[in-house]
Formats: sequence, structure tokens, C-alpha cells
Amino acid sequence: MNKQAIWAVAKKDMLAIKESIQIWLPILILPIVFCLVLPAGLILAIKYFGNAGNVDQIISLLEQLPPGSIRDSILQWDEQNLQILYFFLVYLFAPFFLMIPVMISSVVAASSFVGEKERKTLESLLYTPIDIASLFWGKLLSAFIPAIGLTLISALGYMLVVNILSYDLFGQFIFPQANWLVLIFWVVPTVSLFAIFLNVYVSARVKGFQEAYQLGGLVILPIIALFVSQMAGIMFFSSLVLGALGFIMLVVDLFLVYKTTKDFDRNRLFMSQVK
Amino acid sequence: MAVIQLKNVTKYYGQHAAVDNLSMNVEQGQIVGLLGPNGSGKTTTIRLINGVISPDAGSINVLGLDPATDGDRVRAKSGVLTESAGLYEGMTAKDNLKFFAALYGLKYVEERIEQLLEDFGLADAQDKLVGAYSTGMKKRLGIARALLHKPEILFLDEPTNGLDPEGSRSLLNYIRRLNEEKGVTILICTHLLKQVQDLCHSFVFIDQGRFLEQGTLIELEDKYLGAVKVEVETPLDVNEANFPDFPVIDQRPGYLVFQVQDKEQIPQLLAAVLAKAPVYSGNILGRDLEALYFKIRGEQDE
Repeated sequence: MNKQAIWAVAKKDMLAIKESIQIWLPILILPIVFCLVLPAGLILAIKYFGNAGNVDQIISLLEQLPPGSIRDSILQWDEQNLQILYFFLVYLFAPFFLMIPVMISSVVAASSFVGEKERKTLESLLYTPIDIASLFWGKLLSAFIPAIGLTLISALGYMLVVNILSYDLFGQFIFPQANWLVLIFWVVPTVSLFAIFLNVYVSARVKGFQEAYQLGGLVILPIIALFVSQMAGIMFFSSLVLGALGFIMLVVDLFLVYKTTKDFDRNRLFMSQVK
Repeated sequence: MAVIQLKNVTKYYGQHAAVDNLSMNVEQGQIVGLLGPNGSGKTTTIRLINGVISPDAGSINVLGLDPATDGDRVRAKSGVLTESAGLYEGMTAKDNLKFFAALYGLKYVEERIEQLLEDFGLADAQDKLVGAYSTGMKKRLGIARALLHKPEILFLDEPTNGLDPEGSRSLLNYIRRLNEEKGVTILICTHLLKQVQDLCHSFVFIDQGRFLEQGTLIELEDKYLGAVKVEVETPLDVNEANFPDFPVIDQRPGYLVFQVQDKEQIPQLLAAVLAKAPVYSGNILGRDLEALYFKIRGEQDE
């Protein structure tokens, strides 16, 4: 492993993200919509119109919540509108902050090896004395840093916007919350790593960017769907469950590190990617 | 001393042997031309020597190292210009060189980069994106990149492809200087035989991944030239040029073309002509690399 080379690759790829609108547009739109437009719209709707549209289903969902800290935290508010708002802001929006890093890391990682191949630069890269492990770590960092960085900024922005806009409704700042900290600092990094590994793995084995992106998406989407459905059920959104989830992802990540470094050697990468 | 040795090397792409039982040597400090038609295995040979792909059979030794197991050490001592130059078009020339310098683990490279950009006439364009470069500029930058870490062996894959005559000439001159002044061993792959005829010390001919022949121009001539055609510039009338050993096989105003059995007979021929008329010049025909190339390939086919 060669730190100088790892950082050189990561830096180069992160600068390259800037160059490609195909990459940075979804990267920027997603966080802005999720962490600014949606929560602000919801808070303002409740503040000025007294309700957020048809909420009967949500109310019945809230009434069916099993006893426990989640139910208690929602029912601490007397008004139904505040219960719904709190439910949305603290529980329902949380999975967005898992989707942001997964999206970003998938888009960036999918283009990593395939991008080098399409620019015909992989060959000259492999002719340098950089070891394959360093190359992989560089590629990995180039997706991980923007994914984590943007998620952190988005989450901070979200909490700030929510706190400021909803202070007069709740009479207190509702963020930060313990389960959110576990989500952002423990689950987001491990899940992002998982998405990156899958995409790097896939893109090092396929022919073009489109194919890599689609294949990567195929792997990622069911996982996202699973997360979103479970999270939306909010039964599992406790610090303990999140902690366990992060731990499982970490174990899977470590396995993927082992598998990736074992499966890829220069000869194999070259034969599959360079014509 | 041979710095590159291949022994019975074979490499398959699927069912197809891109390199087939190839053995060859490259001596230290030489410029060697690796010649063959498209698809003959030249590029694959460079890849094998640099350990970016592994041979399916045979052994390779580069500077005392096995590139299949010690590839990073081999690559730290070799520089490669690939056919597509392999540069990042979204980056400036300077940033490209800085990036590759980091991969080679080089430190304090500013001066080296300035010098290379200067040497290759790219100093003024160093902050332009490489995507806006001409083919010639890309090739020059590609060579500058290959030389960043002062390699002991330089591999050039079709270095003059896409260059205009001036660009080709200055590039070939630079290659020659690099070899003479720094003693860099250079392997050039090309099918532009005329360009490398005077540049290379020796030549390796391959076809369909197989070794055909190796030697200096003189050695190859001795082996393949056989009966020699000599064009003599003389006012001698063709009817008077009746030398039994040296038949006239062609003529044009002021020139006669004689056939002799081998080079050793040329002085006798010239003496015979001189006895009858003045001789202004004499020239062996068909001795250029291209003619030899076709002879060698033709002979292997038979």
C-alpha cells in the first residue's frame, strides 16, 4: 500500500467529478430536495395551513404504534398536527440520509474503473508501479469522501432548517437526536462503503459506464427498498437496531475488502478492461 | 548484457495465442526495433515485459527481475508510451505529470516537470487541458510522462503514429539523444520501417506472435540479401557492358543495374566498368529495411 499513490488517485477522481455534469447533478439535486425543500415545505404547510393534506392514514398508523420510546416520543405532543410533523421530521425523513450517500457513492464508484477504461487511461495507470490494492483504495476514497461529506453537510443543513423553522411550533429544538447521530456517524459510513465496494467490483468487471451504473443500481435498489420499507415502518429506528445494522454492514464490508483484494490482480484487471 | 530476455513465452487471449513461443533479447543501451504487421503481438509483448499481464508459458527476465512476480519493481524502472498516449484529457499537462509522478512515488518533482515540459516544447501549453492538445502534443506529453522517473528502459508503441513529418523527425532525434546521452535502452514497436531504419541498432521481427528473426541491419543483409543488384551511375553503353559474371538486368539513361552473386564481388564489377568508362556512383538496391522485412517474412512463409 502506497499512501501517496492512494491519495493521488482519490484526489484526481474527486476533481474529475466536477467535470462531469452527469455525475454532479444528481449529487447536488438529491440533498437539496431532501434536506431543504421537503422539510421546509412540510413545516410551513402545517404552520400556515394547519395541516399537511390528507393525513388520516398517518394518524391511524400512529395510533397503531406499539408501546415504547418511539410511541412515547411522538405522543409527547398534544396536537395531532405536531405528532404528524414530528413523525415525519424525525422518523420518516431519516432514510433519505441513507439514500444520499448510497446514491453518491454508487454514481461515483460506478464510473471509477469504467471511466478510466473509457478514457483509455487505465492502461497507462497499470503501467505505473502502483499496486492494485492502492488503486482500489484510491478509487474507494474518491467515492467515500464526497458521499460522507455531502451527507454530513446535508444532515447538518437539515437539522438546522428544521430547528429554526419548527422552533415556535414545538417550543424547543428537536435536533440533534441520539438515533440520528448513530445513523449519520455509524450506519451511513458502513452502508456507503458497502455500496462503493459493490459498484467498484461491478465496474471493474463490465464493459461500459451505462452497464456498470445499471448493474450497480440493480444491486443497490433492492437494498434501498428494504431499508426504506423497514425504516418507514419505524419499528426498527432505534439506536440499538441502527447500531446492530451498522455492525452487520461493517462485517459485510470487511468480507468485501478481503474478496476484492483477493479477486483482483493486475493481469485479471488488464485482461478484462484493456483492449 | 541483456536487460530484457524472453524465453519461449506464450500468451493466450482466449483461444488465440497473441504471443506464441517467443524468445528474444534486448541488450543494454541499445535501441531495438520490434517490427511486425498489425496484430503480430508487439503490444502484447510490451505488456508481458512490464508485467501488466502474465505469460501462460515461458519465462521473462527484465533487469534481473521477473515481471510477473516483481512487476512493481520492473515498472519503477521502465517507462511506456502506449499507442493512445493514455493521458487525462480533463486535466492540464502539468497536472497529468504531477499525478503520474505521485504514482511513481516521486517527490520534489516541480523542477523535473518544468524541464520535461521545456524539452518537449510544451512549456507554453502546460496549463491547457490535454483534451485541447493536438495528436503530436499528446504524444510528446506521453513520452514526457514515460520519462518522469528516469527509467532505464523505455518502451515506445507506435510513437510516430499520427505525427507529421516534422513531429516524427524531432521525436526520433530526441529518442536518439536520450539513448546516446543517458544510455537508456529503448524498444520501439512500429510498422513504419523507413523511420527506424537508421535509428535502431538492431531489429526483432515477429509475426502472428512468433519470432521470425533478430539482428543488426548488416547481419540481416548478409543473411538475406543473397544475389545483389547494383545500380552504377556510368555513361557506359549497355552493349559494351558485356561482363559474363555480371549481367545487366536493368537500365535507364546514365545508369546500369548489374546483378552480382554477393557483396564481395562489387569491387570487381566496379573495376570492370571503370576499365571502359567513368563511374560516378554505385548503389546496392533493395538493401533497405523494408526490402529485408519482406524477404524475411517471405522466407518464413515458405
